[in-house]
Amino acid sequence: MLTGFPMTVPADSWTEQLRRGGLELAILLAVAPGTRYGLEIIRHLQEATDLVVGEGTIYPILGRLTRDGLLQAEWQASAAHPRKYYRLTDAGTRRLRVMVQDWRMFASKIDRLVQAAAQEGGK
Amino acid sequence: MNLSEAGESRVRGYLFMLESSLRTFLRRDVAADAVREVESHIRERVRETEPMPNERDALNQLLEALGPPHRLARAYSAEMAVDEAVSSGRLGATARALVALALNTARGFAVGLAFLIGYLAAAALLIVAAMKPVFPDNVGLRWMNGEFRGAGWELSIPPGMVVTHGWWVMAISGALGAITLWLTHRAARRYLRLVSERRQLRPGPQSL
Repeated sequence: MLTGFPMTVPADSWTEQLRRGGLELAILLAVAPGTRYGLEIIRHLQEATDLVVGEGTIYPILGRLTRDGLLQAEWQASAAHPRKYYRLTDAGTRRLRVMVQDWRMFASKIDRLVQAAAQEGGK
Repeated sequence: MNLSEAGESRVRGYLFMLESSLRTFLRRDVAADAVREVESHIRERVRETEPMPNERDALNQLLEALGPPHRLARAYSAEMAVDEAVSSGRLGATARALVALALNTARGFAVGLAFLIGYLAAAALLIVAAMKPVFPDNVGLRWMNGEFRGAGWELSIPPGMVVTHGWWVMAISGALGAITLWLTHRAARRYLRLVSERRQLRPGPQSL
């Protein structure tokens, strides 16, 4: 157990920061297999993670990712109402590859630290 | 679930408030597109919701999941207004981004205020210059009985007051106004670019 560290950030705020950091990656991963619209992305993330706290959180990020050229958006008329579908662009695919690589490296480094701390604590 | 007249009105009210908030810092077409997407979300959620005895509660729950319109608009502003200003460099987009930042953070408010003062000073100087051809006798250095009383544009000149060096004041005001506007706008764009770069290093929504 890790104890004795000065707490400069409350635990729930830290979790929130972590969630925010992961959300952009999660959104890109959600559209990586193919096109999805906003609510579909929300459902997908809600099924797999607890990253989506407010459903409205997703739309501004989708807008920014589209503006940044990582996603391409297209309105499609469906039977009930039009939906805005998103798909990864080539730049988005490249960015996602880098982000996944960074995420894995980061997670493995933290895992190593956690294991080392647990081993040292057990001595 | 099919919405009653009251339910429809509630949804329209939510979307109206969202669009009004979005238009303060996003282009009209960008705001309209965002509202259309949120409406599509609401319509689909309503359609898949089982009919409930209390439609009001069901609708409240659905809209609460999205967040209040002003918070949703704030999240859009944090994500998009700065990027639009950085990429376009337009005065309107820059102003919208500064307003969005001023509404979101204390530092943004302080910086926004400083830029507002810069833009207002530039506008005041340019107005003085522009007024000279319209009111040729009211722009210049003002003297009363040989005593200097001020410089710039005075709408009504009291009897006994003499206005001199009007064309010089116009030229200097115009030049100073243009330089102040250029410097303020350049500094504002640099600041917004910095904000944008910092945000790219720390991805994720700024609010909600």
